[in-house]
Order: sequence, then C-alpha cells, then structure tokens
Amino acid sequence: MLDNYLVSLLIATPLAGALLTLALPDNRSLLQKFTIGVLLLEAVWCVFLLQGYHTQDPALQLARSIDWITLDLGQLGRVSVDYATGVDGLNLALVVLAVFVLTAGAVSSWVITAKPKTYYSLYLLLSASIIGCFVAQDFFLFYLFFEFMLLPMYFLIGLWGGDRREYAALKFFIYTFAGSLFILVAMIGLYLSAIDPAETAVLLGLIPDTSSATPQVISSVQSLLAGSDIPPEKLVHTFRFEYLADKANYIPGSLLHADSAAVLGGIPLRTIAFWFLFAGFAVKLPIVPVHTWLPDAHVEAPTPISVVLAGILLKVGGYGIMRIVDGFFPTEAFAFSVPLALLAAISIVYGGFNALAQYDLKKMIAYSSVSHMGFVVLGIAAFNAEGFNGAIYQMVSHGVLSSMLFLIAGVIYERAHDRRIDHYKGLIHAMPNYTVMTGIAFFATLGLPGFSGFVGELFTLMGGFGASQIPAWIPALSVLGIVLAAMYCLWTYQRMFFGTFWYNGDETVLSDLSAKEVALFAILAVSTLVLGIFPNLVFNTSQATVHFWLELLKNR
Amino acid sequence: MEIGLLIGIPFFAFLALLVSGRRFPGIAGFLGCVATAAGLFLSLSLLNRELLINIPWMSSGGFRLDFSMQTDSLTAIMLPLVHVVALLVQCYSISYMKGDKAINRYFAFIQLFLFSMIGIVLAGNLIIIYIFWELVGLSSYLLIGFWNHKPRTVWAAQKAFILNRVGDAAFLSGILLLIYHMGTVQFSELPGAMAELDPGTLTLIGLLLFGGCIGKSAQFPLSGWLPDAMEGPTPVSALIHAATMVAAGIFLMARIAFLLTPQAELVIAVIGLITMADGAVRACKAWDIKRVLAFSTQSQLGLMVFAIGLGAWQIALFHLVTHAFFKAGLFLSAGSVIHAITPPDGAAGSFDPQDMRTMGGLKSKLPVTFACYLLCAAALAGLPFFSGFLSKDAIFLAAVEKHAGWGMFAYIALAVAMLSAGLTAYYMSRQLWLIFGGKPRFDTDAIHPHESGLVMWLPMAVLTFLSFFFVFSLNPFDASGGWFLTYFDVVSPGHSVLIPVLSAVISLGAIVLAAGRARSASGFLSPYEVATKSSKNIFLRDYSEEKRYTVFFLSPFQLVAVISDYFDRFLVDGIVNITGKSLVGISGITRWADRVLVDGAVRLVTNAAKTTGNFFRTLQSGKIQSYYLVTFISLILLAIWLAAGM
Repeated sequence: MLDNYLVSLLIATPLAGALLTLALPDNRSLLQKFTIGVLLLEAVWCVFLLQGYHTQDPALQLARSIDWITLDLGQLGRVSVDYATGVDGLNLALVVLAVFVLTAGAVSSWVITAKPKTYYSLYLLLSASIIGCFVAQDFFLFYLFFEFMLLPMYFLIGLWGGDRREYAALKFFIYTFAGSLFILVAMIGLYLSAIDPAETAVLLGLIPDTSSATPQVISSVQSLLAGSDIPPEKLVHTFRFEYLADKANYIPGSLLHADSAAVLGGIPLRTIAFWFLFAGFAVKLPIVPVHTWLPDAHVEAPTPISVVLAGILLKVGGYGIMRIVDGFFPTEAFAFSVPLALLAAISIVYGGFNALAQYDLKKMIAYSSVSHMGFVVLGIAAFNAEGFNGAIYQMVSHGVLSSMLFLIAGVIYERAHDRRIDHYKGLIHAMPNYTVMTGIAFFATLGLPGFSGFVGELFTLMGGFGASQIPAWIPALSVLGIVLAAMYCLWTYQRMFFGTFWYNGDETVLSDLSAKEVALFAILAVSTLVLGIFPNLVFNTSQATVHFWLELLKNR
Repeated sequence: MEIGLLIGIPFFAFLALLVSGRRFPGIAGFLGCVATAAGLFLSLSLLNRELLINIPWMSSGGFRLDFSMQTDSLTAIMLPLVHVVALLVQCYSISYMKGDKAINRYFAFIQLFLFSMIGIVLAGNLIIIYIFWELVGLSSYLLIGFWNHKPRTVWAAQKAFILNRVGDAAFLSGILLLIYHMGTVQFSELPGAMAELDPGTLTLIGLLLFGGCIGKSAQFPLSGWLPDAMEGPTPVSALIHAATMVAAGIFLMARIAFLLTPQAELVIAVIGLITMADGAVRACKAWDIKRVLAFSTQSQLGLMVFAIGLGAWQIALFHLVTHAFFKAGLFLSAGSVIHAITPPDGAAGSFDPQDMRTMGGLKSKLPVTFACYLLCAAALAGLPFFSGFLSKDAIFLAAVEKHAGWGMFAYIALAVAMLSAGLTAYYMSRQLWLIFGGKPRFDTDAIHPHESGLVMWLPMAVLTFLSFFFVFSLNPFDASGGWFLTYFDVVSPGHSVLIPVLSAVISLGAIVLAAGRARSASGFLSPYEVATKSSKNIFLRDYSEEKRYTVFFLSPFQLVAVISDYFDRFLVDGIVNITGKSLVGISGITRWADRVLVDGAVRLVTNAAKTTGNFFRTLQSGKIQSYYLVTFISLILLAIWLAAGM
C-alpha cells in the first residue's frame, strides 16, 4: 500500500511542510526544527524506498502514473501529460543523496536570522522541486519541477545572500532560465514527434483502458504507426520518458523521427535537438564555458544554500544528460562522445587551474566543483558501464564532499565575515578541530583513496580510457585534474591553517568549532569514508539499470 | 589471517594512538614499538609461505576489483626489512622525540605509514598498490609537516605530496590503460594476458607505470621534493625518506619488471643515471647535514633504477636492502649529531644545528656516533668488506653483461655509474671531515655536545652491524654466492675481477682526494662559506619571506592558472555580462516601443521584457509573498489534479 504512494510522498511531504511553515509562528528555532523534522520524515521514506527497491531489477520501480492533462486538439491529435514517477538505478542514489544534502543544509541553516518563515518555506519548496525533478518520469512534469527549482533558489540567494546577492541571483536566474529555454524547445519538438502507444490504442478502440495494454498491443500500435496507418487525430502525443526513449513511438516523417531528413541550416534537426538539450543541462552542471554563474552564485549564497546548490542542484544536470539527452538521442550521444569527453576534460583542467588562482575560499571551492563535475560528464561520454556507474557515484560523492567544503567555508565566514584565503594564517593554533575537519575534506576532495572522491574519479577515468571511441589522450588530460586538485587543496590548506597564527582583523572571533558543528562535520566525514570503503553501496543500486540502459541505448 | 593481522596491527595502533590523545605520552612510543615487533614476528613467520587473499570489493559492468593481497619472495624480503627499520627507528624516536607535545600523533602517523607501506608490499593488484601508494603519500605529508608551526615544513610536505601526485597521475593512467588493454590488473593474471599486446603500447604502459616510481623514488625530473622533505623529524627521514617509502618505487618496478620492454628499460636506465649523477653532484655542494644525505639517497635510488633498467630487478632489490640499513644508520647518526649540538633552549637565533659549517671536532665528543657514521659511510661509499660494495658491484657487473644488448652505451652507462659512485666516496669523506674532523666551529661556551643515550645509539649500532658484508655474503668481494641472490635464483652475473677492483680503486682514490682537500689550508670550507651569525646560508633557508612558499614550484602551472583566471573573468564572464547588458538595452528599446506603438506583436515582446524588469521591482517592494502565492496555488492545483486522478 505504502509502496504505491512512496515516491509521491517524497514530493508531497516537503510541499505540505512548506505550506505548514506558513501557519507556524515566526520563531527561528522552531521553524528550523520543523524543517529538519520534515526532512527526517523524508529520510524515513527513503529507508522504505531502499527497502522496497530490488537492486537486481533494472526496470522502473515503485512507479506510478496517472493521467493528468488530456486535451483533444482535433486534427493535431491529443495532448497527454501524465503524472508519472518512479525510481530506478539512475535516480535512486540521487534521491537519497538529495534528502541527505537537504537535511545537512537545513541543519546548517542556523545562520539564517532574517525572515525565517519565508526562508524555511522556500527551502522546503525547493526540496520538493528537487526531489520531484529526480523522480519525474514525464518530461512535462520534469520540466515543471526543473523550472520550479529556479524560483525558490532565486529568492534564497537574492534575499539571504551576501553583498552582491542581487547581481548573483539574477545572473543565476537568467543563466539557468536561458538553459531551460533550450530544453523547452527540444521538449516541444519531442512532444510533436512521439506518441503514447497505450493511450493511442485506447483511442483506436483496441483496448478499453491503458492498464490492459500488453506488449503485443503496444507493438501492434507501433507497427500501425510505422505504416502511417493511424489518422493524425487519433495520435496521442506524449511526454512520457519511457515512450520518448523508444524510437518505435516516433511518428514517421515527424521532426525528430530517427530517420528524419529534416535539417536546419544544413544540420539535422535531431543533432540540433541533441545539442539544445545538452546545452540546457550543461548550464546546470555546469560545463565550461557556461559555468560562470556558479562562482558568483556560490560566493553570494548563504552557506546552507551553497550546500544545496553544489550538493544536489548541480546533479540535476548530470542526471538530465543521462536520462534525457542520452536516453532520447543515443545515436547522437554516441556519435558526439568525443566532443563531450573533450568538454569534460576542459572542464576538469580549466576548473582546476581556476581554482588554483582564487583568493576567495568559496570561489576556490566553486571552481573545484566545476572540475569535479567534469568527471561526471567524462563518465557519461564514455558510454560504458564503468563510466555511467562512475558518473552516478561521482555525483553522490561530490554531493557529500561539496556540502562539507561549503560548510567549511561557512564556518570561517560566519565568524569573521571574510572569505579571503590570504587573510588567514596558522588557523591550526586557534581552531584545531576545524583544521582537522578541513584536512579530511581537502584530502577527500583531492581523491585520496579511502574517501569517496577517489572511487568516482577512478571509475569515470576507467570509463574514459575504456571507451574505444574516445582517444586516450582525452582521459589522460583529465588525469591532470587530480594533480591540480592536490595543488589547490594543499596550497589553500597550507596558506590558511599553518605557520604562525595571524588574521587580518579581530582574532578573537575565530573560535573553534562548536559541538554542533563538529557533529555535522563528523557525519559528513564518516559518510564520505563509508562511501569510499564500500563503494558497492552505490554501485549496487545503479548497476542493473546502467547495464540494461546501455544495452537499450546501444541497440537503437 | 596473517595478512589481515599484518596490515591490521599498524592500523589499529594508529587509531589507538590517535584516539588516546595526549593522555599517555609516556607509552606512545612503547605501543608503537610493540606493534611493530609483533609485525616483524609475523612477517618472519611468513617467510616461505605463499598466501593469497581475494575479497570482492567493487564491481561495475565487466570490471571487478578485488581487495587482493599476496605473499611471495618479494614480500619475504620487503616485510622484514620494513619492520626492522621501523622498529629501530621507533625505538630511537622514543628518546629523540621526548618532550614533544604531540608525541602520540607522531607515533600514530608512523603506524599509519607502516600500514600503507605494508599494504603496498602485500598488494595483489595494481589498483591496491595505487591505493596504498597514495596513503603512503598522505603519511609522508603528515610526517614531513609534523612540526606544522614552521611554514617551511608544511610547504615541504606539500611539495612532496604534489610532486608525487604528478608521478601518480602517470601511474594511474598506466593502470587504466592496462585495464583497457588487458582487462585485469591482477599480478597473477597479467603475465598471461600481456602476450597479445603490441610492444609499442606495452612500452607506453611500462613508462607510465614508471611515472609512479619517478615521483615516489625521487627520480629526475621530480626529485626536488626529497631534499626539502628533510624538514621533517630526523627519524622520519631515516625511515621514510631513506629506507622504505622512497624504495617503494623500486619495489613497484620489481613487481612489474615482466611488463617492461627493452625500449622502456633503456629509458628507465637513462633516467636512473641522470638521477644518480645529479644527486651525487648536488651532495658535494650541500651544507645541511641531512640534505647531503638526501641527495645521496636520490643518487642511490638512481642507481637502483639504473639496475631496473638493466633488467636486473633482483639486484636492484639487493641494493635497496643494503642501502636501507646503512642509510637509515647514517640518518639516525646524523640525528644524534643534531641532537647533540642543538642548544638546550631550542634553536636560538641564527644558529642552525643542521648546518655542517657550524660543526667540526665532534669526533671526541661523540665517539659512538662517529663510529657508526664512519662505518655506514664506508658502506655507502662502497668500500670493500661492507654491504654497499657487494650490491653496487653486482649492479656494475650486470651493466657489463648488458653489453650484449646495448653495445657501447652499456660501457658509457657503467662509466657514469662508477664515477657517481666515486663522488659518493668523496662527499661522504667531506661530510665526515666537516662534522667530526678539525676544530669545533660552534660556540663552545653555549653548546656542550654529549653522546646520546643507549636507546638512541643501540638502533644506530644495529643498523651499522647490518651494513657489513657477512650479513649478505660470506665472500666479501662477491655477492653471487650470498643468500640474497641465491634466494632469487640470480644466475651469477660473471666473476669479473676487474670491476670490483676498479670500483674499489675509484672509491679509494676519491677518498684520497678528499683527504688532500681536507688537509689543505682551508679544508672544505672556503673562508666566505663559514657561517657566522650574520651570514645567510646558500641553500634555500629563508624564513623571513613566507611568500615564497607558494605551490608553484612547477612554474608553468602558475602561468596557466593566472592566465585562465583572467580568461575566465574577462572573456568568458565578460561575454555573459555584455550579453546581459545588451539584453537590458534591448528590453529598454522594446519597452519604449511598447509605449509608443500599441501594437499586438510588439506588446508580446515587451511583456517578456517587463517581466524580467519587474523581477527586481517585486524584490524591493516586498511582493515576494504574492509571487510565492502564485507558485503555491499552481502546485496545489497540481495536487488536486492528482487527487482527482487517484
């Protein structure tokens, strides 16, 4: 019974929480406790989710689909938008990660003093949208949640951020909004080209309702479609992932049919649609050269929002490329895997070099995110099991690690309101526990074995080297990223933490970590260690689906 | 079981020492010694047993990575070696590090190092080696930077880690290429799988794997970190930067020797020779007692790498073992010297207790230290009756043998190696004279050198004892009958009389030369080189200028980093900002057009522009709630739709 509604509960709980916060008194600590409570409830759902999930089964599980919008457009056929959700190996780990990171963000929200009610309400709304984005199985629904993440994020940066918050918030908004317009265009193209074979069968009168659609019925509808034997008004256009991912559901002669000869400026439309979708998600990820919103957004965002932004929001980009770009355009994705891998390598190296040049701690971490998310793209571009599993793992790992890093930057900022690396020296003398925690985070980030960062890099690189379509120099270039990571992490560590204690300001504000902070960091440190030592925790969830998914993509 | 204990003991000792905090400073060293002694006992019990464990660890797609560990003849040599040196060094450290506030941390890190080093030795596949390889890098970082209040110390630690990382990047690429081409990295499966591979790729892979060795064993061009690593505590230098960690690169090459093609071997030999000559020349010029030894270590590692290049990995391993003992002995003795002349109130002012120019005349004050130093130096210089002579000559003989494959180059290489060995005798004589000979050059009123206690000199004496020929071979002039080479079934590399005689003559000649220099008017010190309180040292020891300690010892990196930062800020982001500004401009125009021309089509465009503009206004006029409300209502509508559907 619960299984039927579990995934919906994951979306509905924070949504209801967001509504309820409005009814609560404007009390900071109460609101925070309430928010944490809501997210802990989410964690409980996650436990049920993991329990109900069969790791050996590659298909969509705990899935649910309900007709949501159906419009008859006469000659133009029908529009069908479904509320379809479910989890499989591609998104399960990310859903769990989302709840984890959001909880960590909520716990660290003690820094928020102004307008707590609005803050926590927006925060929960953001949580619902993020989780919705991961579990949605209908493009329309996905897009809805995708856009919905922007709004709370815009306000969370714009209202609770630093000095240049308005510039940063607007830049974030316009950047990602522009990115999602690309997705919208491609989405409309896909919608016009593909049909829902089950609902079409119902409309044709082959079956009474969609629940009685058997594979035979589906394939007979598909062969009717291939022979252009269905009149246009009987075609039910769809946004469902599973239908968009099957080329048999594309209308012959439509814009994005696999054999479509449609070109625009000499470039096949399918290629254009592929790059449009990719560009949309590339902004989110972000990939060089569309990354410049990230450093600004991070620098201005309050600590918990930085945590959410780096920890989970970026992962929507990687997930989108895997599920949507690769899922709907596998031939194109395979054909363009060299430029994709090259973009990945450029992101890794370029992000690393830029991190090395930063004097602002948060900017340094932001660029290191660019570098580390490059490994995700490399794994996806590799188009093999190591690469895909590695990309999912790297997203999970980076989610935990970047949360930890931004919390570390937050600690120093909350105390001194100064993020300049060169304004601190010898912090080990004033803040020994903070030094230890930073050391753990830095070594985990630079890919020390034992921590999760290493496994993610190892597998994405293994995928890169193992992909015969990608020349070996591209992953070899990416390996430079691990040298750069060691350089920017250790150099920052040396400059801020060692030598004689000195601070460019009032030294007394630099008190060591409180027990609360130590506990939060310890949980994150233990998580990255556990993930690093037992990587199968993630691989087991993704393995079966990735295998199945790759077979599916390669056979198209 | 035994394998689990071998890596488990140091790991749990590490945890225990770390968790115990500063509560039990007295027993920290004792705990470390006991743990290592237990490990030594275990490793001796494993001498002739071949164990193999494979625990499935992670898998993805077709690739499966096992946590794989094995014992064989290689581990039988390395495990006791690592444990013996570690035991002696920890014993020595109990006295040397006495009074240090963070002594538990010190011994904890040593145990962490042992854990990782033993992991490298036992590893059954290349990825496991790589994992422990990195952990060794971490423990080296922690130990070099142990005295973290000195900026230079942390800088040196960081330099070591990053230069190692450069080598490791190549190492990792090699491993990944190996996985791609052979589908396995398991040592037991590799020999069978490599037959199908074309030699060009194999050469590339071999050289990439050698990259790991270049970093860890301080080979040219990544050798710069080793002298700086001398900032760490001296016993650490003895254990990690002389005897064990730096030897890991040699061990790795011995493990994968079967993968090396003749072309790869040639490159390796050349790198080894360059490193050897470079280290020997630098050692002749250094003034810091430990830096001389560090350069010497670099030079000796070069010799071992040269032996790998000759295809004689067993002999390289032989030199690794003999070198480990006498070099650790030298470092511990150097520590004893430093200990003796360090002013009681800590390093006062400009006085540097490691500068050989402020030493001299210590022979009578430190007789035991002098004896150990002298004998270990003799072993290092490769004088007859010492272990160094045996292993060095075995390498030279192997070089002669290589004449068959390399032709003339083998002789040139041999000449370079023998001349570098001659330099070794020279700089060790110089060092001995500077430390122990002549008259004291330090302030004899303030400093009263004293021989160190039994806990310190006993390990030194044991290591000195292990540097004699009879430990390895009963014949002092030929190692081929000795147990070591017999153990590895090395076919005798010929019984040349010429080579041992020649190398002995060169070494003795160098010593005579050094003695002549020492007896000359100025000795090894030119007048202006003698340190006074005001003079600055020649080598990089500038405490005042902390800005120097950047990460950019790889200067191209700095250039690229700064350029790419500018590129990012002004070009990439510049384009974004210009686009943004022009959009604002356009929206201004359309807004004007809307006001003037009330036209349906234009209104559509301007509405969009207005919405963007209004975002800011709503932000300031507190209309968020209304926006928020709209957001909510639509979500609630969604919920209603859903409820209706269910």
